[in-house]
Amino acid sequence: MKKFVIIGNSAAGISAAEEIRRRDKDAAITMISSEDYTAYCRCLISYYLAKDIKEEKIVLRPQSFYKDNNIELILDKEVTRVDPKKNRIICADKKQVEYDALLIASGASPKFPDIKGVKRKGVFGFRTIKDIREIESLLTVAKAACVLGGGLVGLKAAYALKKRGLEVKVIIKSQHVLSQVLDAAAAGLVEQQLTGNAIELIKGHDAIEIIGEGDVRAVKLDSGKALESGLIIVAKGVAANMNLVRESGIALNQGILVNDMLATNIPNIYAAGDVTESLDITLNKPNVNALWPVAVEQGRIAGANIAQAGLKYDGSLGMNSIEFFGLPVVSLGVYKTDANDPSYEVLQKSDPGQKVYKKFVIKDNVLIGAILAGKIHNSGIFLRLMREKINILSVKERFFADDFGYPEIRDIVREEEKIYL
Amino acid sequence: MSDIKSKSIDLATQEGIKKAQDENIKIVWDRLEAQEPQCGFGQLGICCTVCSMGPCRIDPFGEGAQVGVCGANADTIAARNLARKIAVGASAHSDHGRDVAHTITLTAHGHAHDYGVVDEEKLKVLAEEFGIDTGKPKEQITKELSKKLLEEFGKQEGDLTFVKRAPKKRQQIWKKLGITPRGIDREIVEMLHSTHIGVDNDYKNLINTGMRCALSDGWGGSMVATDVQDIILGSPVPVRSKVNLGVLKEGYVNIVVHGHEPILSEMAVKAAADPELVKLAKAKGAEGINLVGMCCTANEILMRHGIPVAGNFLQQELAIITGAVELMMVDVQCIMPALKEIASCYHTKLVTTSPKAKFPGVVHIEFQPEKAYEIAKEIIRFGVENFSNRNKNRVDIPKHEMDLVAGFTKEIVFQILGGRYRATYKPLNEAIISGRLRGLAGVVGCNNAKQTHDYFHTTVVKELIKKDVLVLQTGCSAIACAKQGLLVPEAAIEYAGKGLQEICDAVGIPPVLHLGSCVDNSRILVAAAQMIAEGGLGEDLSDIPAAGCAPEWMSEKAVSIGFYFMASGVYTIFGASPLATLGSKNLTDYLTGELENVVGARFDFCDDPFKMAELMIAHIDKKRQALNLKPAMY
Amino acid sequence: MKQLYYDIKKCLGCKSCEIACALAHSLTQSILTAIKEEKLSLPRKKILYSKGKNYPVSCRHCKDPKCVDACMAHALVYNKEKGIVEHDESRCVGCWMCVMVCPYGAIRPNIKTKIPLRCDKCKDKDEPACVRACPTGAIIWQEEVVVDNKK
Repeated sequence: MKKFVIIGNSAAGISAAEEIRRRDKDAAITMISSEDYTAYCRCLISYYLAKDIKEEKIVLRPQSFYKDNNIELILDKEVTRVDPKKNRIICADKKQVEYDALLIASGASPKFPDIKGVKRKGVFGFRTIKDIREIESLLTVAKAACVLGGGLVGLKAAYALKKRGLEVKVIIKSQHVLSQVLDAAAAGLVEQQLTGNAIELIKGHDAIEIIGEGDVRAVKLDSGKALESGLIIVAKGVAANMNLVRESGIALNQGILVNDMLATNIPNIYAAGDVTESLDITLNKPNVNALWPVAVEQGRIAGANIAQAGLKYDGSLGMNSIEFFGLPVVSLGVYKTDANDPSYEVLQKSDPGQKVYKKFVIKDNVLIGAILAGKIHNSGIFLRLMREKINILSVKERFFADDFGYPEIRDIVREEEKIYL
Repeated sequence: MSDIKSKSIDLATQEGIKKAQDENIKIVWDRLEAQEPQCGFGQLGICCTVCSMGPCRIDPFGEGAQVGVCGANADTIAARNLARKIAVGASAHSDHGRDVAHTITLTAHGHAHDYGVVDEEKLKVLAEEFGIDTGKPKEQITKELSKKLLEEFGKQEGDLTFVKRAPKKRQQIWKKLGITPRGIDREIVEMLHSTHIGVDNDYKNLINTGMRCALSDGWGGSMVATDVQDIILGSPVPVRSKVNLGVLKEGYVNIVVHGHEPILSEMAVKAAADPELVKLAKAKGAEGINLVGMCCTANEILMRHGIPVAGNFLQQELAIITGAVELMMVDVQCIMPALKEIASCYHTKLVTTSPKAKFPGVVHIEFQPEKAYEIAKEIIRFGVENFSNRNKNRVDIPKHEMDLVAGFTKEIVFQILGGRYRATYKPLNEAIISGRLRGLAGVVGCNNAKQTHDYFHTTVVKELIKKDVLVLQTGCSAIACAKQGLLVPEAAIEYAGKGLQEICDAVGIPPVLHLGSCVDNSRILVAAAQMIAEGGLGEDLSDIPAAGCAPEWMSEKAVSIGFYFMASGVYTIFGASPLATLGSKNLTDYLTGELENVVGARFDFCDDPFKMAELMIAHIDKKRQALNLKPAMY
Repeated sequence: MKQLYYDIKKCLGCKSCEIACALAHSLTQSILTAIKEEKLSLPRKKILYSKGKNYPVSCRHCKDPKCVDACMAHALVYNKEKGIVEHDESRCVGCWMCVMVCPYGAIRPNIKTKIPLRCDKCKDKDEPACVRACPTGAIIWQEEVVVDNKK
């Protein structure tokens, strides 16, 4: 009987465990999580804090899932070291677990800036249920909150805190929100939604100090101005949780490097999810795409390969769906182009009155990026064209049409048609 | 059977449907089923086929196109579609009127010997209205009047003569709005012109033109039809008869006359009694010739001759399915194209008679007023000769039939109410003023397979008479209520409220009065106008405590009728299905709301007969209050 | 397990399926009233046009559903026995991840209800409403045709 160990109990870990079990009814599967909570939908914590959903709705898999699938679940245990030579992992409490194959799906953690006062009580990342519970306990006393970072996590945190009645300011180092995934035009539409709903955006500034006496009192900006704040969310990106493999000989960059089978340089060790640096299809180089759908897909393929399926992974790409106050926005792949490189082509159209903006980034007649704001109904089609690296010369003129859709790409995508007779 | 019960409340109809099912013959309800679900764009009135840049549709859910290729929005498209229906409905009635006017013209000039002036009194009344010296000989009056009548259709200057029949105040409203009807044909042409691509894009203006077009029907074409028919065929007087499929007789040659215009059917009635043909029938082994009517033709010959009525619109196929019909003679309007197929399943001969209405492959014996009786005889003979082809094993006539009293014209109703020698509306007005009668209701219109056959008509009428509302009926609606026994004086005891009962008892009338065919709705308009003239019920038609409805409507004629009632000031409710305007909120709101401020009446759409009656009664009570009348007595 | 197939030669683009679909998922079930409902029921099927042909487009209930992978709320689950991607609307937060990844563009956002519009094969009925609504029989509801996968 094989013994498989999965470090991590979120999107990648769960889908890997399910896939292993589907293919191998007998193997022993052990999942180890540093959190003390069974699997939950991490991306929903902002909705939970905002009270948009009840706690039971964030449960990703109930307790019974582990029992039904004969999975040993070890919670609240941090894995500190992977020892590939002896095929074992070592936990903080010295517990050792041996494996025949290992999946590292240890995820990522918020990056905290190196500024004075960042360790104070009242400064939070925005990633775990634990974070939410602690934030919740401060809501009765804090009147104002500052969010450091204008990325998706920061804005979702800002939305939730606003919904809970706090005065919210978002401090953004860049010139616009969501600068990692949106250009200024699309970001402008999102900003309208936020400011229109009384979330203050302070752009082009950074926090340099968190002031307080034990508790947090204010945030000091690089402008010298201090913003009163009883609660601070740090949302300045995440870093892969790789400490456990630093000394192991597993190849690393910004994440654990994997091949097209999602195996690391050590054959029986795989990686999936936010900790993984895999081929980015649109960038055409390895990249960490710490995204839920990527984690689920990687987990499933890594799990299948642990069960000897030999599946290939095409690679990941950046994709984000964002909605604030009724404005949906989808960002796919890359939006930044090199103005000096003639192989890039950018198509864009905007209708600010209707709050609609669309942009397509094409390189060598292949779509490598898209931003769709206001109207997102065909975004899956564009994602597919990117994923399959389709030559879009014949259809690109139709990208902006409201009635564009699958029928117009069916001849050019990789597909054996089944439903149209 | 429960499925059949949902199709019709009428027992004869239920039996007919069962027979059709047993013989595997597809009829109207089966065809409806095959059409379902029906096109949502069509139901909402937001499909436009006006020009060939289309067809265009407006997305009713607001996601897709909100304007057609030309830029027409839902309001324009729905209003244009509706306007065209009005024009077609008005055309049907008015073209019928023209044929009647043509017949009196031929008669006046001695070309149609089978007809003559039967109601001389009415001839003179009309002649006076047209400014003809009535001191002249009858023949001369007829000549002059018939010329004037025909001119009403092609008139290029001035208003329709019958406009003067409306109360002064109503005439002023029309004038102010610019919708006083002029030439009958002109209003239809103008309506159609307005709906051409890129003409009238203002839904309110389209509705204005629509009202004018409809008024040219109600106060024009239909009114000519009714009045001239009364002159040359005789004005109806109350008459007893029978109704429902049970009037078909097994031992007889059964001839069904179906359609709308009475000019030929009048002759068929005579021909069916022709000794020569009766003799022939007997020679063929029949006991005689049994001529019965279907739909509005039935109403015409019922009103004037007491000819039994075989059924209303949804029963036309079932008459043939009894297996006992030798011949069905049809002219125009509401003749289902399916009849050809149904007739081919039996020995029944279907015969078309109008140059305007033919079926491919069906025997056509064209009617000419000049040879009316001769042609009628030819048709009846054709039927009699077909008797021997009848398959007796397939004959099954539902036993159900009901007594009815019909023949209430505007003149006669109130002669009765006022006593034979005091032809006046005074007693009627007084009954309303005193509150013994709550008010009047016109319950008219078709059958619609989407609505349980006859259920809506009879339910709403029962609810109304229960609350002392005297109900005036025409068309298929009257036949529906007749079949349920509401058109006999005794019905008052069972169904009417106390006040209405007292009146019915005193005068000896049913609580529901049958005024004739669907062109005879004009009788209701004139009666209402005369009530205003009598005094005590306000100055305008919209003041009378009255309401109208078409509970099971389906035809374009019903749309035109609805519009001329509404434009005359009568609050009118459509049942069965609403007008196809719901895809335009603006237009629907206008028709069911704002119009009241424009012409003093509006529409409602209602798919529940109880609610419909409530709405009508509430409206009647509102009008009573506005006139400062006492509340209804009972 | 039955699937929806389309004989596109027969599709006239009349959009009867769209209307029937919206109605089947409406509260009042009648076109005359459904268009007035506060939370409009929108069609989960759309007719799209390409090169002279009309294509009804709706969720195909893929066997490797990208939308299920992407659903961060675990509202979408593939039910293998029924061959259907099931959607637990009570879990859905309207994040539109499913819209973002559907390779057929068959899931559309309903911004008002915050629930994506996707075919549920009219799961409570004998057959999807669009099948009956199609006046030409272009929508076919039949047992799945097994097609050899290239892989």
